[in-house]
Amino acid sequence: MNMQAAEARVGSDEIVVSGRNVGKTFAGGSVVALEGANFEIPKGSFISLVGPSGCGKSTLLRLISGLIEPSSGDVTVHGTKVTGPRQDIGMMFQKATLLDWRTAIENVLLPTEMTRKVTKADQKHASDLLKLVGLKDFRFAFPSQLSGGMQQRVALARLLQTGADLLLLDEPFGALDEFTRERLNVELMRIVGEVGATTIFVTHNIAEAIYLADHVYVMTPRPGRIASVVDVPFERPRPLSLQTSLEFNQLVAQVREILGEDH
Amino acid sequence: MAVSDSTLSEGAGGGLSLRQRRILTHAGIFLTLIALWEIGSRAGWLDPLFYPRPSNILRSFWLIYVQNGNVWYHLYATMILVFAGFAAGSILGVGLGALVGFNPLVRRFIKPYVIVLEATPRIAVAPLLIAALGFGAPSKVAIIMLVCFFAPFINTLSGVVNVDEDRLELFRSLGASKWQTLRKLVLPDAVPVIMAGERLALTAALSGALVAEFIQRNEGIGSLILVYTRNLNMASAFACIFTLTILGFLIFRGMEWVDHHVAFWKHEPGLERVGRRRRRKMKEALDE
Repeated sequence: MNMQAAEARVGSDEIVVSGRNVGKTFAGGSVVALEGANFEIPKGSFISLVGPSGCGKSTLLRLISGLIEPSSGDVTVHGTKVTGPRQDIGMMFQKATLLDWRTAIENVLLPTEMTRKVTKADQKHASDLLKLVGLKDFRFAFPSQLSGGMQQRVALARLLQTGADLLLLDEPFGALDEFTRERLNVELMRIVGEVGATTIFVTHNIAEAIYLADHVYVMTPRPGRIASVVDVPFERPRPLSLQTSLEFNQLVAQVREILGEDH
Repeated sequence: MAVSDSTLSEGAGGGLSLRQRRILTHAGIFLTLIALWEIGSRAGWLDPLFYPRPSNILRSFWLIYVQNGNVWYHLYATMILVFAGFAAGSILGVGLGALVGFNPLVRRFIKPYVIVLEATPRIAVAPLLIAALGFGAPSKVAIIMLVCFFAPFINTLSGVVNVDEDRLELFRSLGASKWQTLRKLVLPDAVPVIMAGERLALTAALSGALVAEFIQRNEGIGSLILVYTRNLNMASAFACIFTLTILGFLIFRGMEWVDHHVAFWKHEPGLERVGRRRRRKMKEALDE
């Protein structure tokens, strides 16, 4: 299953997301958050956006999600220009932002409630997603009864419940401890592989970016821009031990070099 | 089984629990205070005119509740007044608070008036309300409304305004409409702080009712206290005051109960209970 998904990724040439000269300025043009970004992201691929703070990686993600509008150029998803939040684009944040008064499964059902009346089939689907993220026994727990890692798992299930095939993740496990983050990263790879979604993942951790992605977009600040795209050749599934291999660390060194001395 | 039973009973019989000892200590202190009062009153250290003996107060309780039974009518009148005024004041407070909270423009213009209202003792307006509405139930309810309007108003306003920015962004990314954001995020999020306002309002409503009854002495516990004090029947006046103590306590506990059910997620036992209920509700769909 995973192998097939990996092959599909590499083989597919249908473009899901593309950007043409996408730029964003704040404070009336005096602050350039992102400068002329051009990119094409094929269906089913996993993209990491990596760089120091101020490199525009979160800005780029928000532009693709439609939460903010570009100052120049435009973003296209599935052939149509992005003008605002859409049902085929799902977003996950650094904080789980669950609703305290809802159980885990009710939180997962939230995206469905926005579009239609929840059916029994929807409830079944949400329950299956919670099983997929390993929370079978916590489906009726409230957020305050869950650990930080579990809350992010619920947020991941909620993201999948949207049914979007483009998943945007803004440092989703950034607030968690190292061990939990590593485990969730492995599961994230497995899950998006199973679902076959196109994924864009923002991080400031170089090793994490390489480990997860098919292509790493290395971004540099002042002004924020995409400095280079590094292709990651390793096949899937990728064991954790990959991170200690020579080839892996050569890629890390390559990304560091692009980022320059200030990183 | 038998062994464990005997160890259990031994544990209980071997000494009083911390809780039991605490209750006994409190009861001991309370009874000592009452006894000192009784002795002081009999020995003439306390003026019996203003500090009636506990035994006399107890007899007054018997008089007004059982023998004459006249307190019931007034108790009923006061409670109707409290709840009518509280309902009117808190509905107005929550409604206006939400309205102002949702409208940034209105919020900016109303702010100076809120500050002025906050600085003014609301009860000072009571005589004006009576002048405007005349003696009778409407002016009494209006006085209570006035004293218990403010806390729900301010709390609803701040609850609605202070919505977590990250959650708002989540709702935006899900393409939620204004109405959906209001119903599924803003209002539920504000419930605990609104409930805190309601608790303050209900306590204020009881005080407001007494002031209203002091001014218009036709019925209610407040007027009864006034009548007894004028007749120098201090024991019965005290019985009325202690009646209010009990009433205040019950109102406070009742409100706490409502709060624990409406804002259940703020209280640990509520989570377990509601979690179980929601699991039962969804059981059928999940085939479990």
